[in-house]
Amino acid sequence: MKKWLSLFLIGLMALSVVASGCISPGGEESTKGAIAIVYDVGGRGDLSFNDMAYLGASKAAEDFNLDLVELQSNSEDDYVKNLETLAAQKKYLVIIAVGFMMTDAVKQVADEYPDQKFAIIDGYIPDKDNVMSILFKENEGSALAGALAGLIAANDGKDKVGIVLGMEIPVLYKFEAGYRFGVKWAEDYYKQKEGKDVTIDVLYQYTGSFGDAAKGKAAARAQLAQGAWVIYQVAGGTGLGVFDAVGEVLDSQGKKMGPPFAIGVDSAQDWIKPGVIIASMMKRVDVGVYTAVKDAVEGNFKGGIVELGLKEGGVGLSTVDDVMAMFDSLPEDTQKQKLKDLGFNSRDELKQYLEDTRKQVPDWVWDAVKELQGKITTGVIKVPAPMDKDGIVEVRNAKTWQEMMELAK
Amino acid sequence: MKKSGSESLKSINLRPFVESIIAILVGFIIGAIVLLAFGYNPWSAYYWLFQGALGSTYGIASTLKYATPIMLTALTFAIGTRTGIFNIGAEGSFYFGAIAAVIFTNIWDNMLFGLAMGMLLGALWALPAAVLKVYRGVHEVISTIMLNWIGWFFVLWLIVGPYANPNDPNKTIRIPVDARLPIIGYGLSIAIVIAVIAAVLTYFLLWHTTMGFGMRASGINQKAARYAGMNPKMAVMWSFLIGGLLSGLGGAMKIMGEGPGYAISQGGANIYGFGFDGIGVALVGRNHPLGIILSAIFFGMLRAGTALMQAQAHVPLEIIKVIQGIIVITVAIPSLYDLVKKAIHRGAA
Repeated sequence: MKKWLSLFLIGLMALSVVASGCISPGGEESTKGAIAIVYDVGGRGDLSFNDMAYLGASKAAEDFNLDLVELQSNSEDDYVKNLETLAAQKKYLVIIAVGFMMTDAVKQVADEYPDQKFAIIDGYIPDKDNVMSILFKENEGSALAGALAGLIAANDGKDKVGIVLGMEIPVLYKFEAGYRFGVKWAEDYYKQKEGKDVTIDVLYQYTGSFGDAAKGKAAARAQLAQGAWVIYQVAGGTGLGVFDAVGEVLDSQGKKMGPPFAIGVDSAQDWIKPGVIIASMMKRVDVGVYTAVKDAVEGNFKGGIVELGLKEGGVGLSTVDDVMAMFDSLPEDTQKQKLKDLGFNSRDELKQYLEDTRKQVPDWVWDAVKELQGKITTGVIKVPAPMDKDGIVEVRNAKTWQEMMELAK
Repeated sequence: MKKSGSESLKSINLRPFVESIIAILVGFIIGAIVLLAFGYNPWSAYYWLFQGALGSTYGIASTLKYATPIMLTALTFAIGTRTGIFNIGAEGSFYFGAIAAVIFTNIWDNMLFGLAMGMLLGALWALPAAVLKVYRGVHEVISTIMLNWIGWFFVLWLIVGPYANPNDPNKTIRIPVDARLPIIGYGLSIAIVIAVIAAVLTYFLLWHTTMGFGMRASGINQKAARYAGMNPKMAVMWSFLIGGLLSGLGGAMKIMGEGPGYAISQGGANIYGFGFDGIGVALVGRNHPLGIILSAIFFGMLRAGTALMQAQAHVPLEIIKVIQGIIVITVAIPSLYDLVKKAIHRGAA
């Protein structure tokens, strides 16, 4: 009995500790206000979406002197609870939900708290005054990827490039259309430059998944066997298999650097397989988050769709500096391990290697891509963005980039 | 065995309850030490945990919402334990309850039909393990684990294949509006009421019916039960079927009662793991249906409090999960001890 009594007393003490905590919770110092960011189940450390969102949020918090509250979701069931808990506190300038999976949850909570401002990255909520949906013009970034791929192929006398995609969902049509547009533009550019007619076919495959590297590898192998010279991956984890397949071809030929090349997507993926990946089409989630906070702070917040393209820096082709910035944001021991895995002695060696990889492609190709970028930015050239099956079929059937541009209007 | 048969068959015994309360307190103390060690303020952390779970009507609703599915899967495990089997098939039955709700409410948008089909498919999925156990002596731990995997991949195929939503590739098709469970308020549906009724009925079945007496008796000593003219085989059979039915109900209500999606999401993310969590809930509730109601609510509190604990006490989710793990393990120790002791006794008998 004595044992029970002593245990009980310990318990009572614990309770009093908890209770006294209730009376005086930890104080909070306030800055100019606060913003909150809710991650999806992936959470920080994914080297992609969530990490980039954090970069944007922390930069905004610093620039505008705001407190930053981060909430990670344990499972999908937490989305509504996390958003609702934050909204109920009524102290955040804006609550940012990262990822389209939260679309339903944001819709619901935004209705319950009409005075709270929300922003959602990649989610489509067009008709609420208090929700800013931040979308990216993937078609514009993909056009640059297509131009790069097409010009590399043309320069080497090849006539095929590839694209491996994930599930056949509308947003991926934008990637495919942009890529095709870029390839057609490259044909035209090459003809003007060299006076020779070239036709470059785009091999494409929807793998039906975003997480199956083996499928991506199989798809890329098939395309390489048919003569694809550059392959753009738009398939998340499935796309990692594309890098493997291209890398194997290089190995079998005893080459350290392409061509053939792969093109990465979403974040600056070049460092994943240096030598294999020529560049990546980046979706600047950090820019999106920053834009939402900036608009909320400066009183320019408007509900509805905000599309970020090349002009706004929302998409773009990665530079070596972009890649190194991504690499530097990794924890130090991860960096060391990564360098070791890749067989480099130092960070600078990796950087040099990436620069050498880019030198496999003549300068005029890079200049041409820049030229296209400039024309899209100034609005001289418009890239189609089909959102349904009929739209993408029209783009696939178009013979020239001018024809595609008609579809964009 | 120290206790006489009649004593251990008695249902109201306060000692386990007191033990659990003490274990909870000890768990919180160890958790506090860990929080301190990582440089977080345990007072503020726990304050916001409770504030988030119980500090507002919404918090309470959220706690009860999280408590609902694990209450039902815990009952599955508890009924198994009471009849002397270690049934961890709740997970599989839960999947089938969920997919049955999606399939059948889209055929006929009737709530009761959806729940009934969920229970039916949940029970059917428990049947193979029951038959293997009763007629071939296959150990239920092995068979239920394997059946869980078979069920998982089959349901996963249904989710991404025939029942995927063409307009939203992230989810299955939705439960029609007319078949959704009525909402009490703050996103909490009547699922919690149904779950509590199920727990009370389970209690009534086990302690106030002849059938329940037979089930518990064969759980304590099969040979004695057979000698007394009972049928332990049927007891085991019923224990599997009722268990599967309860988990199936849990799976159906998870999808029919929880917005905003009212659909199973890609990769089965919102139906995975409740069967396993239920084992923890059952252990903390000492395998007693009424104890399970309380322990499920306790688990629900831990889940519901995380948002404010992250936002206000600035404890990262990973650390929160560590603390929760510590608390749950501590709380489950007395019950685990009982279970192991019983298993050893049975082995020796």
